[in-house]
Amino acid sequence: MYSNLLISSKYKKIGWMLLLPSTVLAIISIFSNKEITWLDAKVFSIFPEFSLGRERKYFQIIEANLTNTIIRVFFIIGALLVSFSKEENEDEYIAQLRLKSLMWAVLINYLFLILAFLFIFNITFISVMLYNMFTVLIIFILKFHISLYKSSKFLNSEK
Amino acid sequence: MKNKIKIHRAIKNITQEELAKEINVSRQTINAMEANKYVPSTVLALKIANCFNTKVEDIFELDEND
Repeated sequence: MYSNLLISSKYKKIGWMLLLPSTVLAIISIFSNKEITWLDAKVFSIFPEFSLGRERKYFQIIEANLTNTIIRVFFIIGALLVSFSKEENEDEYIAQLRLKSLMWAVLINYLFLILAFLFIFNITFISVMLYNMFTVLIIFILKFHISLYKSSKFLNSEK
Repeated sequence: MKNKIKIHRAIKNITQEELAKEINVSRQTINAMEANKYVPSTVLALKIANCFNTKVEDIFELDEND
């Protein structure tokens, strides 16, 4: 964990610049349920939608709307850049905060998933799965930055 | 593990910031160690001892929980 998988701290800004707008767009798209029409395109799909009574085909060119594709890809790239770039003063203590936050995020994420398994059923569960693809990164970023903030806040009161 | 970083820092009359710069870590790290919230790596312990011109054992000692 300490430094080897992490990239230079200058990528963190780029990460936030991708993550914040895509978060806003994702929230808008969840509530409005609309797609941007000029993002309709012919795309290559490994596994096109399977509909009952039809023969299953692979590797097809299909029509699809790319609104969500773009939002999700930008969101994940942004979140990865924020998560995997060094702090400016990255050292072993911050690496430990990072590791603790990551373990905490994985744990909380799967506790929520267990709750979802127990109390959410059928088609609704698909939306849970959709959120769950992003929550590890979201919880990690929140927890890690709260830990960093706390440790520097405590430091100012120490002076 | 207990440590006497704060005492040695007072003797040498340097701030957390100055110590942090000298051994190339963040101020949070010095702060966390002084608050006994963080146990440093061997490398960092040796660097701290080096900075205070003393031995690691003079700064760090085991406590009853270790």
